Amino acid sequence: MNFFTRAARVAFRIKPYTPAARFYANEAPSNNLKFSFALPHQTIYQNADVQQVNISSTAGDMGILANHVPSIEQLKPGIIEVLENATTTKKFFVSGGFAIINSNSSLDINAVEAFPLEDFSIEAVRTGLAEAQRTVASNSSEEEKNIARIEVEVYEALQSALGKGS
Amino acid sequence: MSFSWKIAGISYLKYTQVCARVVRNSLKEEQRLVAQRRDEQGLKYAKWESGKQGELKPVEEQRTG
Repeated sequence: MNFFTRAARVAFRIKPYTPAARFYANEAPSNNLKFSFALPHQTIYQNADVQQVNISSTAGDMGILANHVPSIEQLKPGIIEVLENATTTKKFFVSGGFAIINSNSSLDINAVEAFPLEDFSIEAVRTGLAEAQRTVASNSSEEEKNIARIEVEVYEALQSALGKGS
Repeated sequence: MSFSWKIAGISYLKYTQVCARVVRNSLKEEQRLVAQRRDEQGLKYAKWESGKQGELKPVEEQRTG
């Protein structure tokens, strides 16, 4: 009996949890996103520190910051906006691919083709779009039309991306 | 964005291939010429018989795209 009362007294003496003091950089997690952006033929970012990345996935447009919920998103042909820091923002147009948001605040994007917006020619987009639309309206085979429908969608995405100003 | 291509029986690989082609095609002249070279891919095969390589043939004459 005596033992139990003593044990209870000891238990009460245990201090409530207080967080341990923090020491400089070894603990405070960086608030930056570790960003990797790779194409089959080129690496655009490799584990770079960035603030935020905006993507357009098939589930909708989303902005990714550090500590985002892990997920895998299929990218639409659309803009990837990289906010490197408070002053530098870069925009790329990707043809499609996947964005993998990991639990350790890192983001990996794999795409087939990606170019900065200034590399595109609005005239080339316009002629391409007109040609694809002609194929959809023509009496070519259904298979060709289906391909052309995809093309129209991508050209339109490009057109709106370039229209927003590069 | 719809998945109409999926309904039409187009595979994801084919879909991304088409998207990538459109993107390459929309570039300015100098970038386009470099990028479009990446689109050309081919596969050749040869039958080996008793230690000798037979005739080298392309698997597919034209690139379908």
